[in-house]
Amino acid sequence: MISTDSITGGPGSITGASSSYQLALQQLTDSALPTGAFAHSLGFEGYIERGLIHDEATFGTWLSAFVAQQLTYSDALAIRFFYEGLPLAQLDSQLSAQLLPRQVREASIKMGTRLLEIGQEVFPSPALELYRDLVTAGRAAGHQPLAFAVVARSLGVPLPEALAAYLFAAVTSLTQNAVRAIPLGQNAGQRLLRKAADAVAAAVEEVQHLAPDDFGAISPGLEISQMRHERQRARMFMS
Amino acid sequence: MTPVVETLSAVVEPVETLSAVVEPVEAQGFREAQSPHAQPQSPGGQAQSQAPRGVLNLVIGERNGRSIASRQFHQGALRVLRPHYLDDSGQVCYVVVNPGGAYLGADLYVLDVELEAGANLLLTTQSATKVYRTPGSFAEQRMTVNLAENARLELLPDQLIAYREASYRQNTHITMTPTSSLVMAEVVTPGWSPDGASFRYEELRLRTEIRVDTGNSAELLALDNVLIRPPSADVTGLGFMEGCSHLGSLLVVDPRVDQELADCLHQLSAGHDVYAGISLTRTVAGATGLALRALSNSTGELNHLLGACTAHLRNRWYGQQPLNLRKY
Repeated sequence: MISTDSITGGPGSITGASSSYQLALQQLTDSALPTGAFAHSLGFEGYIERGLIHDEATFGTWLSAFVAQQLTYSDALAIRFFYEGLPLAQLDSQLSAQLLPRQVREASIKMGTRLLEIGQEVFPSPALELYRDLVTAGRAAGHQPLAFAVVARSLGVPLPEALAAYLFAAVTSLTQNAVRAIPLGQNAGQRLLRKAADAVAAAVEEVQHLAPDDFGAISPGLEISQMRHERQRARMFMS
Repeated sequence: MTPVVETLSAVVEPVETLSAVVEPVEAQGFREAQSPHAQPQSPGGQAQSQAPRGVLNLVIGERNGRSIASRQFHQGALRVLRPHYLDDSGQVCYVVVNPGGAYLGADLYVLDVELEAGANLLLTTQSATKVYRTPGSFAEQRMTVNLAENARLELLPDQLIAYREASYRQNTHITMTPTSSLVMAEVVTPGWSPDGASFRYEELRLRTEIRVDTGNSAELLALDNVLIRPPSADVTGLGFMEGCSHLGSLLVVDPRVDQELADCLHQLSAGHDVYAGISLTRTVAGATGLALRALSNSTGELNHLLGACTAHLRNRWYGQQPLNLRKY
């Protein structure tokens, strides 16, 4: 379907058909991809302010909870639903409605909009064009997980790989932000990422078993911290 | 449709007695025609196949500045007390009663509430909703709410208590217009078990969808999905309940919701022994919502905060006094 036309002229010609999307996926998930992820803590900055995150172990606890809860039940599940053929506009609307903390909702839209622009430049596809049109027409907001899902599927990336790549990119950005904000040593950051890889693998497995009604299940603590960030006085991050 | 009930309940006040009398006559026809939930179907896929254990349908209209039930029907283990008027605002107060006192395994309760244009309803419960053991199954409540233009609903049930080995699903679907007003609050307690430990229930799902009718479609404004599954993961720690036992939520959708109101309610929350966050939802057709989430270690503390918030809104928008239901 959509995947075939974008493979031919893209990275497929460099790496061969079996992993034609590998380099594209690396580019999409590189923390240097200019979506502005460096500006978002998605709620962990509030825990730093309260003294609950202050070192490698405490950030690791938060990161595990964030992956297992919010990233799994919102972002990853939205990606899975898109792969399963649910309408893009409906999924986009559900994300806008489910992300109750304003800053997190805006972060998803801001990074998603950037990803749509970048995608259009480097990995254009009819599906991506369609999503951009929905956003331009005001019928969708343009959320990060969906923008990623659209590009990944158009590149022929299988769902489990797309999920793992998306989630690991998210934890990488958050860990780099934590290394700067707490601050932590560079090696601590790498140890955190190694552990987070297990959490990501578990999340990829878990998301396959979730039901439609599970979408957007919140974690009260994570959510409250994200809401309270709006009123936090000294802050490094936009969320 | 059901002319008998319409005429009678509008004229005679003690609807309570009446609806019990009329029940057998209209039971079938009304449910088929009115209730979108009449065919048991769960969005989660696992349909409850049996007939509902309790059904309540309530249609509230407005006549000369006073809100009254223009239609009501109940069946099984759900009914309402006779309506009250707590002040001279015209707002009618209905209290939902579950005579059985508890939700048990595979129990299904279906509530349909419709507010006609300008109608003003306060809907509460007589006591806490208690969910007992539901082995191999779950108790379920499905509620559908429709708010017409300028209709106002305050939905303020007592707290939910899930006991050991209880599973409970609550699905609430609300559709409103950009001029309707909605305030809903809910408190979830940790429940208890004979050994005194808390969080011994299997699963709680409280899922609320609020849609705004834009004229073309009913667009999703807010999806609030609280899913607590104590056996599957530690729900007490960082990120989840954070050492607290009770969870409180407030959702407000009204054309007058803005950032200033959110800031105001945030100030209110600072005076309580709770950990709370407040944020504005997306905006659909000019309607914006406000969500407040709070953690605490007591029902009382959360009820104080949610009571202070609803009192602020009642006074700010309607010049009404704080609620005093004198239920306890």
